[in-house]
Amino acid sequence: MKENFFRSMTWMHTWVGLLVCWLLYLIFYAGTLSFFRDEITLWNQPALHNVQTTDTRIAQQKSQIIAGVKYLQNVAADSQRWGIYLPTQREPQLNYAYEKPRPEGKRFGGWQEHNIDPSTGQTIAQTRETKGGNFFYRLHFDLHYIDVLTARWIVCLASLFMLVALISGIVIHKRIFKDMFSFRANKGSRSWLDGHNVSSVLALPFHLMITYTGLITLIFMLFPYPAMTAYEDGVRGLFNDVLPTNVRSKSSPESAPLANIEGILDHVYTNWPDADLTQISIRDPNKASATITVRASTGTMLRDQTPTLLFNGVDGSLIAKSATELTNTEVFYDSMTALHTGRLANPLLRWLYFLCGIAGCVMIASGCIMWAKRIRERMKKQQTASFGLKLVEGLNLATLMGLPLATCAFFIANRLLPINVAERADKEILAFFLTWLAVALFALFKRATAQWIQLAWLNAVACIAVVLINALTTDGNIISYLLNGQWALFSVDFLCIIFAGLFVIQAKKIPTRAQPKAQRQSSRRAAKTNLQEQQ
Amino acid sequence: MHAQSVKTSQTFSIASKLSHAYQAHSYRIAVVSRFLAAIVGGYVFTAVFSSLLSIILPLKKSDAVLLSISLTIFIYSCVFIWVFAVKSLTKIWITILLTTTGLALILSLLKGWL
Repeated sequence: MKENFFRSMTWMHTWVGLLVCWLLYLIFYAGTLSFFRDEITLWNQPALHNVQTTDTRIAQQKSQIIAGVKYLQNVAADSQRWGIYLPTQREPQLNYAYEKPRPEGKRFGGWQEHNIDPSTGQTIAQTRETKGGNFFYRLHFDLHYIDVLTARWIVCLASLFMLVALISGIVIHKRIFKDMFSFRANKGSRSWLDGHNVSSVLALPFHLMITYTGLITLIFMLFPYPAMTAYEDGVRGLFNDVLPTNVRSKSSPESAPLANIEGILDHVYTNWPDADLTQISIRDPNKASATITVRASTGTMLRDQTPTLLFNGVDGSLIAKSATELTNTEVFYDSMTALHTGRLANPLLRWLYFLCGIAGCVMIASGCIMWAKRIRERMKKQQTASFGLKLVEGLNLATLMGLPLATCAFFIANRLLPINVAERADKEILAFFLTWLAVALFALFKRATAQWIQLAWLNAVACIAVVLINALTTDGNIISYLLNGQWALFSVDFLCIIFAGLFVIQAKKIPTRAQPKAQRQSSRRAAKTNLQEQQ
Repeated sequence: MHAQSVKTSQTFSIASKLSHAYQAHSYRIAVVSRFLAAIVGGYVFTAVFSSLLSIILPLKKSDAVLLSISLTIFIYSCVFIWVFAVKSLTKIWITILLTTTGLALILSLLKGWL
């Protein structure tokens, strides 16, 4: 489009990036937090804090399942779906759930959960209604308050822009290796460019992988056409072909006794002698069409499809089992989803995922800040800022400083809202968005360096408040988590303190107008931490 | 006679206004057109190309579909970048329209839709 390839790509990189950078920041931010989805859910549920994973976790599974079926048979014999969710490393509680009666016209009535401490066998009372980490997980690709399908299309388009910006970013990069080690401080927008380069290049394989595989997770919505061309019934036909356990029989109203679960479990354990089972779901229990699905953990394998056995729920015969040997193409496709969700990650790899996600946030944040800085630097003294520049600066402030504050508000609301208030989970989310809206309105009026400093202080206070309010309203606190080795909870509190520290550094290091020019330009450390803080 | 000339001059002035407007905004229109070519053109091209791929790949049916689905994003982003790399907008639109129609034609012939 410009006179040569290099200039065309630079132009495209700038505009494709700038157009969607705030949405991308939200997607990356929520996605990064989602790597700790189970940990955040646990943090949000103080009643589950003292539930310990037992050493005999896998050995207990058989008796837990048998007890679960007995329990559900007693309380919910008429329900259309039962679920038994076994404790995992990351979610220590045992959960027996059944579907509540479906309202007219709805396809699902919602789960009634019954949580049990696996080490004592006691029911856990007083769980609070909260979305926990699932909120960020959904926010990551469904956004919020808008139609899910529309949201996913928007997210897909933004991700495509991200991928294109990444590729063009590599193309226009002349010294990709050298830039890994170069950071020129005190150079205004040059320093921001270096920050942008460092955060992009160091985690480049991650950025490419996460963007490409992210699009792959929504590929059947984005490009259903190959499946529609090859199969009569489109995507469903493909799924039935690839996933033999996907078959669904029609519900029948006829009642029939449920097959003996012990017989089914014997079958499961002959198929998988050392299975680490994760969930048992029973459709249409006590009906002629009953099916029992048994799923096992994929462990640390690069596999998204869980090993599954599907049984007839009346005579207990095996209907289908998931393929044990995948073809090369299936492995290629399946591993991409597995790479994106990172469910395979052990704690160390999970932290690496998290750090790479932060590098992605830094990359996006430094990119949009750099654009505004460059325009400002090029402006003549008496020139007034254009509408576009003001808009970008406002959105930068609202997004980069608003999201962490909103996250703190979400956590604080989780602790402070009365436990039995109606629609509690939605109110936590409302706290998130109201806080964000407040920051956005603030940014609408003023978005100079002074406002960045004020918001940095506010964020620091909010981060500390999360830790303090947690200590005051629950039995535990950051020190007891450390002493008891409750690492999931400790990590959340610890990260809050780290970010509080970074926000304080940011507030101290941002140059104010009053200082002479020599001091105004930020030091190397400030520029770097500025970037990190905006997570 | 007189009335006709007034009419011609009116149409002329509308045309000239349009051409003025085009000249004033030609850069913006070109940018929008390019983005449309990249987003919509790229999408349709990828959809047709990957559908064709799913039936001509010499693999098991499910494998062919999964492979072409996995490659869609790669194809889409290549087209996207190509649209911004080529200088002439006309060339871009003609290439996209011709290749997409051609591929769609082959696809319909193979599937017996025509």
